Amino acid sequence: MANDPIHQFQISKLIPIEIGGLDFSFTNSAAFMVATVAASGAFLFLTTSSRGLVPGRLQSISEMLYEFVASMLRDAAGSHGMKFFPFVFSLFMFVLVGNLLGLFPYFFTITSHIIVTFALALLVIGTVIVYGFWKHGLGFLKLFVPSGVPAVLVPLVVLIEVVSFLSRPVSLSVRLFANMLAGHITLKVFAGFVTSLSAFGVAGMAGAVLPFVMVVAITGLEILVAFLQAYVFAVLTCMYLNDALHPGH
Amino acid sequence: MANGDQPNDLDRRRRELEAALASRRPKEPEGGGDSKSDGVGGFGNALRLSSEFIAGIVVGAGLGWFIDRMAGTSPWGLIVFLLLGFAAGVLNVLRSAGLVADFGSRAPKRAPDAGDEN
Amino acid sequence: MEVEAAKAIGAGIACLGMGGAGIGLGHIFGNYLAGALRNPSAADGQFGRLIFGFAVTEALGIFSLLVALLLLFT
Repeated sequence: MANDPIHQFQISKLIPIEIGGLDFSFTNSAAFMVATVAASGAFLFLTTSSRGLVPGRLQSISEMLYEFVASMLRDAAGSHGMKFFPFVFSLFMFVLVGNLLGLFPYFFTITSHIIVTFALALLVIGTVIVYGFWKHGLGFLKLFVPSGVPAVLVPLVVLIEVVSFLSRPVSLSVRLFANMLAGHITLKVFAGFVTSLSAFGVAGMAGAVLPFVMVVAITGLEILVAFLQAYVFAVLTCMYLNDALHPGH
Repeated sequence: MANGDQPNDLDRRRRELEAALASRRPKEPEGGGDSKSDGVGGFGNALRLSSEFIAGIVVGAGLGWFIDRMAGTSPWGLIVFLLLGFAAGVLNVLRSAGLVADFGSRAPKRAPDAGDEN
Repeated sequence: MEVEAAKAIGAGIACLGMGGAGIGLGHIFGNYLAGALRNPSAADGQFGRLIFGFAVTEALGIFSLLVALLLLFT
C-alpha cells in the first residue's frame, strides 16, 4: 500500500548477518544511524576546519551549537559538569541530526523506534548511576532520601522516589519516540489526502490544495519539534547528570 | 489589639514564606523553550507533563507485575506499586513544573500527601 | 462464557471509570483556567492546589485502571 502511514517505519535488512543464532543484520535503521553520525561529524569537522577568526555562516552554526550545549550544561550541572560535555554534545547532535534527516522524503527516522530512544535513555541513566556510585559511593543513595522528612514517612517517600527515578528513562525515551512517530504519521496521512483527492480530476485537485498547505505547515512544525525534542533530551540529560554530580546537594 | 496585629503578622509571614519558597524553587529548566511561540511551547509542555505522569504509572505497574511474578505475591505487588507509581507520577509532574525542588534537596511537600490520598 | 473473555470484557468495563476521572479533570482544569482568566495575578499561587486536585481526582481514575490491570494480569 502506497498510502499506508506505518509503512515508512518498517525495518528492512540490507546486509543479513547472523552470528550464533542472533540477528546482527545491517538494516536501514543502522544505515541511517551511520549516516547521522557521518553527517553530523562531517558537518562539524568541515565547517570548523578553516578556523576563521571571523566565522563564516556555516562555522558560526557549529559554534552556536557548541555554545548552546555548553551553556545548557553549565547552567544545569555547574562547571564540574563540563567533563560530560562530549557525551551531552554527541547525544544532542545524534538526536538532532537523526530527527532532521528523518524529515527528508523516503528517509528513515531512527528516533521513531522506541528501542533506539530507549537505548539512548538507558545510556544516560546508566552513566548517571555508574558515575554517581563511582564518585560518591553509597552516598549516592542519599538521592532517594529527601532531608526533613518525618521518620515515619521515610520508607514510603524512598519507595516513591525510587519509582520516580526509574520512570525517568521511560519518560525520556517515550517522549522523543512518541513525538517523532506521531509527527511522521500525521505528515504521511495528510500527504495521502493530497494523492487520493487529486485522483478525482480537476475538482479534486483544487480541493487537494488544502491538505497540501497543511503538509507544508506540518513540515515546518516538525522541524521545530525535531529541534525542541533534541533540546529537551539534552536538557534532561544535563539535569540527571547534575543529580549524579551533586546528590543530596 | 490582637485583631489589629493579625493582618500585618499574616502579611509578613506570607512574604517570608514567598521569599523562602522563591529561594528554594529550582530555576526554570527551559531557558530556550520560552522564547518559542506560546502555542507550541505550551503544547510541548503539556506533552512533557503528561508523559512524565504516565511514565510514573507505567513503571509502577511494571515493577509491581514483575515483583508479583518473581515473588508470587499476586496481586498485592501490582496494587501497591501501581499506587506508588501514581504518587511518583504526581511527583514527576510537580518536579518538572518547578513546584518541588529536585531530587534530594528537600522534603517534597505534596507528593506524600498525594500518596496518602490513596 | 469463557473465563478469559469475561475477564477481558470486565477490564474494558472497568476502564469506563477513567472516563469519569476525565470529566473531573476537565472540570478542574476548566475552572482553573476560568478563574485564572478572571484574576491572572492569583493564578500562579493556586497552581499547587490545581495539581493537588488533579492528583486526588486522578487517583480515583487510577483505581479503575488498577481493577482493569488486576483482571488482565492476575
